[in-house]
Formats: sequence, structure tokens, C-alpha cells
Amino acid sequence: MASKSSLLKVILLGDGGVGKSSLMNRYVTNKFDTQLFHTIGVEFLNKELEVDNHMVTMQIWDTAGQERFRSLRTPFYRGSDCCLLTFSVDDLQSFQNLTNWKKEFIYYADVKDPESFPFVVLGNKVDISERQVSTEEAHGWCRDSGNHPYFETSAKDATNVAAAFEEAVRRVLAIEDRSDQLIHNDTVHLHRKPKSSSSCC
Amino acid sequence: MAAPVTGKVVYDQEGVFIHSSCGKLEDQDSLIPGTLRVVEKDMEVIVDWRPLEETLDSSNILCAVKDSSSVVEWNQSPKERNNGGPEHQNSYEAEWDMINAVSFKKRQFTNGGVQSPINIQSKWSFLFSLTDLKSIKQNKEGMGWSYFVFCLKDDVILPALHFHQGGSELLLECLEKYVVLCESEQDSRILLVDCQNRSLSQSFENLHEEPTDSLLQKFKKDPYTATMVNFSKVTNFLVDTIRGTDPLTHRRPPQEIADFLNDAMPDLKINQQEESGFEVITRIDVGTRPEVHRREPVSTAEWESNMDSLGRIRNVDHLKHIIFKGGLCHALRKEAWKYLLGYFPWDSTREERSQLQKRKADEYFRMKLQWKSVSEEQEKRNSRLRDYRSLIEKDVNRTDRTNKFYEGQDNPGLILLHDILMTYCMYDFDLGYVQGMSDLLSPVLYVMENEVDAFWCFVSYMDEMHQNFEEQMQGMKTQLVQLSTLLRLLDSSFCSYLESQDSGYLYFCFRWLLIRFKREFSFHDILRVWEVMWTDLPCQNFHLLICCAILESEKKKIMDGGFGFNEILKHINELSMKLDVNDVLCKAEAISLQMMKCKDLPPAVCEVLGLTDNTSAPACDLAEDYVVRKHYQNSTPPNNPVPALPPNGTRGNSSLKRLPNSVHTPTSAW
Ligand SMILES: Nc1nc2c(ncn2[C@@H]2O[C@H](COP(=O)(O)OP(=O)(O)OP(=O)(O)O)[C@@H](O)[C@H]2O)c(=O)[nH]1
Ligand SMILES: [Mg+2]
Repeated sequence: MASKSSLLKVILLGDGGVGKSSLMNRYVTNKFDTQLFHTIGVEFLNKELEVDNHMVTMQIWDTAGQERFRSLRTPFYRGSDCCLLTFSVDDLQSFQNLTNWKKEFIYYADVKDPESFPFVVLGNKVDISERQVSTEEAHGWCRDSGNHPYFETSAKDATNVAAAFEEAVRRVLAIEDRSDQLIHNDTVHLHRKPKSSSSCC
Repeated sequence: MAAPVTGKVVYDQEGVFIHSSCGKLEDQDSLIPGTLRVVEKDMEVIVDWRPLEETLDSSNILCAVKDSSSVVEWNQSPKERNNGGPEHQNSYEAEWDMINAVSFKKRQFTNGGVQSPINIQSKWSFLFSLTDLKSIKQNKEGMGWSYFVFCLKDDVILPALHFHQGGSELLLECLEKYVVLCESEQDSRILLVDCQNRSLSQSFENLHEEPTDSLLQKFKKDPYTATMVNFSKVTNFLVDTIRGTDPLTHRRPPQEIADFLNDAMPDLKINQQEESGFEVITRIDVGTRPEVHRREPVSTAEWESNMDSLGRIRNVDHLKHIIFKGGLCHALRKEAWKYLLGYFPWDSTREERSQLQKRKADEYFRMKLQWKSVSEEQEKRNSRLRDYRSLIEKDVNRTDRTNKFYEGQDNPGLILLHDILMTYCMYDFDLGYVQGMSDLLSPVLYVMENEVDAFWCFVSYMDEMHQNFEEQMQGMKTQLVQLSTLLRLLDSSFCSYLESQDSGYLYFCFRWLLIRFKREFSFHDILRVWEVMWTDLPCQNFHLLICCAILESEKKKIMDGGFGFNEILKHINELSMKLDVNDVLCKAEAISLQMMKCKDLPPAVCEVLGLTDNTSAPACDLAEDYVVRKHYQNSTPPNNPVPALPPNGTRGNSSLKRLPNSVHTPTSAW
């Protein structure tokens, strides 16, 4: 059975209106609320899940996308285990901004090794037929930016939402396994102590 | 009552110091040597610390006794200090040391009110029964001598005791004969009395492995946060941390951090006066809180009875007062809000108002035409307009969509919301549209049911809220600092708690302040909250007292639950739609009365609440705004009791000097 449950912090970043809050709500409550407010400040929700025999509590942080509120959201980047870069396939601008979002994240999250930090890219609103960003373009960017996994999602009809979040967990766990082999030391988990105190490792 | 503690002494240790530092950098620390004893007496076990000089004379002891109601004040002058004791240069003062001797809540002072002047140090004496002990915070091992901070069950935090001559281990051994001490799961340096207290939620993780370090990180990383953290105490804390030589927290070159802090300092003007004082000294009794009742909403008949034959409003002060006390009945809002927001002058005649409305309608449509007539081609070359439009379109679709005025697909309410926001961009192109503005407009439009009136009322509202939305969000920073100033006066133990959880900068109040509680109350209730706030009664910045009222109501849950950074944020976010509007307004009003009656309000608090006389120091930016708006409304200032400054209340830089006037100060040494 799963031996430990860890807390894993993922953060949703992307332009205002691309569907970050909708994705989070879809994933955590399996609902799509068309009457949702735009986000002011920061919010987070927890979701328990099991991935490859690991019990994980995912803490999903949702932020406001507007430029003006940058200084409000950036302090929350720190300690993230994974960053979900989100754009909307019907909004070219939001796609072009991915590079900025990634930069902003790396800078403020104080990522030690940006090369190996797990990013997952989400192209949301695939249920909309008038696309401004093609799948190929999106794949291209992901490949060129460090081989990030890419998911085309729809918070509205639930397409690929769970898959994207689960991939995020897998990426984090994979990195952890690697570092566990390198250093058999608890300090790796400084920011993530085992949640339950059942037998370790 | 403060008789010497007699009984069986089971522990007796000399050389236990209190560092009564004011947290100032260059200042030498004041070290007060004393003796710590544990005494078995009757059925109780008493822990007793008193300074050296009076170890034999225990007639001047402040005694923290259970079930008591009056106030103990810990006043201590930085000038009178004992410079004896070990060198302090290798101080490891960690985060808890910053609160050495903060937060003495209401407790019995055994000698009653006023005491004869005695040795200043005797004020630091304390004793408590072991049954009142909640936790002990220890410093980390291997850092010279140990120190302990005792926290009592009602969250009184006693001054840190430094065991310069050892003996801390023995003390723990001794105490463990009477109580069970167990390590806190959240912080291994905290020993909790009884394990019942361990119900600390495990569902969240503390993101920050080392609070001190992470706070520094934040300072380092983000100037904006840094300025938000500009409360004197946190600043002192940082200064302490910089000075401190805790090898573990000392990862960054001190100079780097100091420079950084200096960058952040200019924003600190509001609290600067208190900076020199450090909270320890500025603990003030704010007196008892009166009971407050609200009245029924102002009716149309009441409103009309205050209007003369030409349609001018008489008794403006009275009207504002009853609006403050009860709000408005809904039918009246459409008219009364125009006055409250400053669109209609109170003393205008019916005729003048109809002229005004005509003029304003022309002006509105002229501006509306400006963006309406921008062609697609033009807009392609105008990225700012394009961006504003795109943001507005996105947000209009996500504002109060459950309200029947804005629900459904092609609701005319949505179009009006959109058009007014677009026109506002033309009115103030520099600001344009910032998220949050749609929340402020929506209720106004809902009440006005008229595009032009809604626009101009919104313009007035935005005059007040403008700073919140500006590039640097100065308004938000200012308000967070101001809120902290108020909260610290009202409840420093809660403030200390928040700071210990990295939440001292009140981040979690951001949404409250940005859009004036719009998302916290139901649509119906926010109409009430806003009209009450717009009366500008009973003092400036009443909305900050609303924040205090809500925070106070949540304090217990937060502290009892041992909520950390994340949990506090989540808890506050989730209060949305659960607050009782009448409770909150009553409490906030009661706090305002309590403060206005208090004779010893620190200058910073007076300034925030606008309780200053004309001769006082220059007003801060926000206060100026306030005056401007008042002027605009063309109304006389409310005829409200505005407490004068204390007799010798020179609004000088040192709040220290003023403090001794506190009637409740047990020591009248001054
Ligand atoms: N068709 C479609 N619409 C979506 C989808 N996801 C979100 N939306 C809509 O897009 C709009 C924006 O969604 P939000 O979830 O509020 O966007 P956000 O990224 O959280 O935006 P900010 O909070 O402003 O940063 C809303 O009107 C949603 O209903 C989707 O998968 N398909
Ligand atoms: Mg959102």
C-alpha cells in the first residue's frame, strides 16, 4: 500500500480569463460554474489523490492573472512543487504570454534548477471551435521550452483536466525519486514533511 | 495581595535575565537580572520571576491571577536600564524575542489602580500559576545560553527569560513533576502543556521551514510585500534578525538585507512615530467596549421630512447619523446614494440637480461616443484600449452573474456594466480598467438603474478607491499598514500570533480592502455596508474597523486551531458570504466608540481614524483624500465627539512620553 502521503503544492499561472479557477474547480469539485467570479487575491483548494500508489494531497493555488496584481501573487510562488502554465486556445495573447509567466515563476519561486523544474502546460477551452492557437504551435513551444508535457483541456466539459493534474503529480514524484536516490536525506523534503506518520520509505 | 510567595521552593535559579530591549539597533540592550523560582503553595505551583533588587521585597509584584478583569500594564522606559549583565553582542534573539513582553491582556493587577513609584525594573516582575501555563517556547540548542518564553492560557506572552547562568534544563525537569510537556508538532521549539492542545490541524503543511528565513526571503524577493510588511514591529523584528547572529538564519549578508529594508522604509511614515517606541511600551488600555444597537433603515418619509420646499436637504448631519445607524430602505437608495457618494451636493435645490444631471448626461455621452467611435482598425493600433476592452469583456461576464440584473446571456445589465466601464476608461485613461472595478460598479448600477447616474456615482466612488487600483497599489499598502496599526492597539496578542505565523502583514485582508468587502457579504448586505461607510461616520477609515471587527470574531478559531499561514488565508477567504452584517457593523461601531473614548490613543491610531486636531501633524495622503472628498460633498463635518489629544499630547516622535498618562497604568512612576 501507499507508504506515505505528502503534500504537494502546485500553482496555476496564466493570463486573466484563461480558465485557471474553472480548471481548479473542475478538478476538485468536478463542477463547472459559469457564474464564477474573476479571482481577486489568491485562493487554494486541497485535493487528495492516489498516483502510482502514492497518496498525495495536492494543494492547488489559484491566482489572479491581471498584470496589476503581480506583487500580490508572486509571494505565493515559493515552495511550489510544480507550475501549471495555462493559456486559452481561443486567445493567442494568452499563449504568447506563457514565456513571461514561466520567467516570472522561476524568478519569484526561487527555483534552484529551472532546467529540471516540472512545468506542465495546459491549453484550455478546447471545447471552443474558433481556435487562435493550434495544437502544433502549442506542442512546438513546449518542446522548445524544455520539453514540458502539454495537455489540451476543457474545464467546461472536463476534457483532460484530471489527466493534466495527475501528470503534474507524476512529474514531481519522479523528480523526488531521483533525488531520493542521490541523497538519502530528509533535507530534500524540507518543505514537505510526510503527512501521516505511518512507516517511512 | 502581592504578598511574598511563601511555600516550598522547589526551584531557585539566579541569573535569569529579561532583555528589555526596545529592539533598536544601536541601542544597548537593557538586561534585567533576576531570580526565577518555582514554589509549591497550598494546592498551587507558582512560577515567579523578579528582578534582583527586589527579590527580597515582593510588595511590588504584578501578579497574573486567574479570573480577573482589570488591567496590567507593562511600562518600561528605555532610559532607565541596568547595564550590568553579560555582553549582548552575541545575541541570538530569535523571532520570539521580538515580542519580549508584548501583549499583556486584561489581567488583575493585584495592587489595584495606581502604585507608588518604585524601581522601574519591578514592573517586569511576574508570577503565574502553573495551571495557567499553555506553552513554553525554547530557543534552539547550541546557541549560548537558553531562553524560555512562557505563554499563558489566555495567550498572554511573558517576557523571554534568559538563563545566563544555566538552569533551564532543571526548570523543565522541575515543571515536569507537575505537568506534562510535549513538543508541538508544528514547531519543535514549543513545548505544550498537556497534549490536548495538539489538535493542530494536519491537513496543511507549513510551507516555510523556517519562519524567520522565509520572511526575509519575502523581503528580499518582493519589494511590494516588503512594503506591506512595514509595521514597526515586524520591522523591529527584522532589525533584530539582522542584528542577531543566529547562524542558521544568517544566510544573507546583513548589509544586503539592511539596504533592502531601507528601501522599504520610506513607506513607513504612518507608523514611524511608534517605531521608536516598540510595542512593548505602547501597550494601552482601550477601555471597555460599549454595547451598540442598530436602528431600522431610514424610510422615505424620514428622508423627505428633511427636505425643504426647494428640495434641499437640511439636517445633513442628522440624516447621515441615522443612515450610519440603520442604513437606507431600498426604495430610498436610488436617491440617497447620489448624495452619499457626492454626485449631488446636499444643499442643492431640485432645480440645480436637474441642471446638473443634464450637464452630466451630455458629458457622459460625449465620452461614451469616444470609445464607441473607435474603428476596429484604430483599435488595432491602440493596444491599451484593446487591453482594457478585453479585460472588461472578460470581467463583465464574471461579475454578480447570479443577480437577476446580470444573469443570463443577453441581459441588458451586462451591456450597461460594460459600457460604463469602457466610458470610465475614457474618463480616466491612465487608470483604465483594473480588475475589481466591476465589483464596485455592479451594486451602484443595480441601485441606480440608470446609466448616467450610475456612471457619475461610480466616478465618485472611484475617487475614493482610486489608490487601491493604481500601478503601485499604494492605497492597498497604506491600508494594510493602517489596519495593522489599529489591530495592534486592539489586540496585540493576536497580532503577535499572526506574526508568528508569517501573517503579520495581513495579506489575507487584501480582497476585503480592494473592493470594500464586496465579495464577503451577500449582494443585499453589501448595499447596507457601503451606505453605512459612505456616511464617513463615526470616524475616518471606518472600513478598517470593520476589518478589525471581523478579525476579532475569528481570532479564537485561528489561535485555538493553531492556524498557520495557509490555514489563516483559507479561513479568511472562506468567510465570504458567512458574515452577519449586523453583527459586524455593531462590533465595528462599538470599537470606534471605544477608541474615541480612549484618552491614550497613539498618534498613529489617531491619524488613521482622523481623530486629530487642526494643529497636529500633517495628514497622510489618505487623510488628504478624505478632506477633498468632504469638500466636494460640500457638507459640514459631522458633529461628532472627536476626542482631544491628551493634555500634554504633543504629537511628537516619541509615543513613550505620552504613555505615562494612562489612567490604568499601575505604575505612575512618571
Ligand atoms: N468554453 C469554455 N469556457 C471556459 C472554460 N474554462 C473557463 N471558461 C470560461 O472562461 C472564463 C474565465 O474563466 P476563469 O476560470 O474565471 O479564468 P481565470 O483564469 O481564473 O481568470 P482570472 O481569475 O481573472 O485570472 C469564464 O467565463 C469561464 O466560464 C472552458 O474550458 N471552456
Ligand atoms: Mg480565477
